[in-house]
Amino acid sequence: MLLRGYAFTVAGIAIGVAGLVALGAMSERIVRFIEGGDRFVLGQISVAGRGMGMGAGFTAGGLLPDATIRALAAVPGVEGVQRQVMLPFNPSASQFITLTHELVLGLDLSVPMPNRHYRTLPVRAGRFLRDGDRKTAVVGAAFAAARGLGVGSRLTLEGQTYEVVGVMERTLTAPDRFVIVPIADAREQWVAKDPLLRTLLASGAVALTAADLNTGAAVGWREGEDPDALARRIRERVGGVNVQIPSELSALLRSSTAFFSSLLAGLAALGVVIGGLSVANTVAAAVFERLRDFGIKRALGATDVQLGREVLAEALAVTLSGGLAGIALALVLGLAIDGWSAPGQPLFLFSPRLLGGALAFSVLLAAAAALHATLRVARLSPAEAIRRGA
Amino acid sequence: MLRAERLVKTYRAPSGSALRVLDGIDLKIAGGELALVLGPSGAGKSTLLHVLGLLEEADAGDVWFGEERVSALGRSARSRARGCSVGFVFQSFLLLPALTALDNVLLATRYVGTGGAATRRRALALLEEFGVLARRDHYPPQLSGGEQQRVAFCRAVVNDPPILLADEPTGNLDDDNARVIREALRGRARAGAAVLVVSHRPDVVGGADTVVRLQGGMLAC
Repeated sequence: MLLRGYAFTVAGIAIGVAGLVALGAMSERIVRFIEGGDRFVLGQISVAGRGMGMGAGFTAGGLLPDATIRALAAVPGVEGVQRQVMLPFNPSASQFITLTHELVLGLDLSVPMPNRHYRTLPVRAGRFLRDGDRKTAVVGAAFAAARGLGVGSRLTLEGQTYEVVGVMERTLTAPDRFVIVPIADAREQWVAKDPLLRTLLASGAVALTAADLNTGAAVGWREGEDPDALARRIRERVGGVNVQIPSELSALLRSSTAFFSSLLAGLAALGVVIGGLSVANTVAAAVFERLRDFGIKRALGATDVQLGREVLAEALAVTLSGGLAGIALALVLGLAIDGWSAPGQPLFLFSPRLLGGALAFSVLLAAAAALHATLRVARLSPAEAIRRGA
Repeated sequence: MLRAERLVKTYRAPSGSALRVLDGIDLKIAGGELALVLGPSGAGKSTLLHVLGLLEEADAGDVWFGEERVSALGRSARSRARGCSVGFVFQSFLLLPALTALDNVLLATRYVGTGGAATRRRALALLEEFGVLARRDHYPPQLSGGEQQRVAFCRAVVNDPPILLADEPTGNLDDDNARVIREALRGRARAGAAVLVVSHRPDVVGGADTVVRLQGGMLAC
C-alpha cells in the first residue's frame, strides 16, 4: 500500500542508481587493477639484464645470466632471489608488452616467492606449481575463462602439451592473463620462440647454459631492510642490470596509469552527478506530485513533523526499492556485457563497498531531496496545497 | 461553538491588484446549529470556509473554536486543533487515490492519535451506515462520485468533530446521493455539531437554522 502509485518513481530511481553503480563498477575495476599492480611492484625488487631482449615482460630488460643472479644474492640485505623468464604468450600479437598482455611466466620453484605481498599466488582450483614439476601450468582466471580451461585441461605451448594443474583466483590485475610454468619449460619456450637465440646457441659462439636463460629476477629483502636502499645498493654493486627501485616503479606505474586515474575520477564524478541528480530529481518530483495529498493530510490535522516523517518514510521505502532494483539492473547488465564482450576480462567490478555506498548515497540524497521538497510544501497553507495540486 | 470576528482576506494578483474577498466577516454558529452561506461563484464562500477551518490564514480577524482563539495558535497547534475539532466535506471529495475507502476514513484518525480497534470498528460502522461497507477495500477511482462523497463524509465525521464544514457537498452528486448527504449534514447538527454549508444553491440543504448571503465580502441575511 505504501508504494502504490510510486511505480514511475521507483523506476526513475532504479535507472539513476543503475547508472551510478555501473559507472562506479567500471571505476572499481580500474582502481583494483592499479592497486593490484602497485601492491605487486612494492613487494619485491625487480631486476632484469641490461638491454632489450624479446622476453622483456615487465622488467624491460635483456638476458640475466647465472653469474649475475649469484651476484645479486650476494648483495648484503638480499633475502632471496627467484629467477624468472617472462615471455609474451603470442609474440606475433603485438610488439608491445602491456599490462593487459597475455604472458608466460616461468618461475624457479626451488626458491620461495620473494614478493612480500605475494608469498603465494592465490589458486582458485587445483594447486600451484611445485619444485620438480614439468610440463605443467597454472593459468590466470581471465586466461582460463577465455579458453575454457580448468584443472586437468591440456594446453599447447610452442608445440608442447602442458597439463593445467591450477587456476588462479581472479585478481583483476596482470596475473589474470598469465600462464605460469616451471622455469625450465619457460626456457624451452623462449628458445623455441626466438630464432636469434636459437642460432646463437647452435653456433656455440656464446657460452650459455640453461641457467643463464633468465629475463629477470625477483629479489626479496631481509626484515628491516629499506627496499629502495637495497635496490640502489644492487645498482652500485652488480653491473649489467636494470634495477627497479620499488617506490620509483610504483610512481612510474601510477604515472603511466594517470590516464586511467583521470578516467576513473571522471567516471566516478559522472556517476555521482547523473545518478545523484536522477535520484534527487525523481524523489523531489514525487513529493511535488503529491502536493494535493499533502494538502489533504494537513487538512485532516497532520502537523509538519508528522507530514515530514511520512514523506521521509515513503522516500526511504521508495529509494530502497528503487536502489535495490537499480543495483539488480546494473548487475544484470554488467554481467551480461562482461559475458558477451570479453569473457574472463570483466569491465565491471561490483564490490560490496560500491553497492553499499551507492545505496547509502542514494538514500541520503533522497532523504535530503524529500526534506527539501517537504519544507517547500510545508510553506503552503493546506488550502493552497490542495489548489495547486488539483 | 464556531465564531469569527472581523475576518479580512485579500488576494493579490501578480500585477499587484488586490481583491478583498472577506471584508470584516462576523459569524457565530452554535453547537447543534446548521448554517448555510449562499453566494455566487467567486463570492469568497470557499475562502470563508477555509479560513474558518484553519486551512488558510486570514489577513485580519479571529477564529474561535469554543473558547479557544485558534487563529492565534502556532502552525502545529493549529493543525492539531483542525484535526480534533473540524471535519471537512469538499465538493471534489478529496480522497487520497492511493488509499482504500477504509484507509481514507482511518487517515483522519491517524493525525489525532485515535487509532486502534475501536476506531476501526467506528469507521466500518460509518461505512455501513452510509451504504459503502462493501466498497471498503476499493480505491477512490473505483468508486462512483456518490460513493466517494459518502466515504469522504465518513472521513469527516469519524473523529466526531464538534465542527463540520461542507463546501458545495452535493455539487457533483445525483439526487439520491445528494439526499443522503443532506440528511447526514442535518443529522450531524442534530447530534450537536456546529455545521456550516457553503453553496451557490439555496436548496443544497433544507431546514437550515441560519441562512446568510455572502456578497461583496460581507454577510447579509
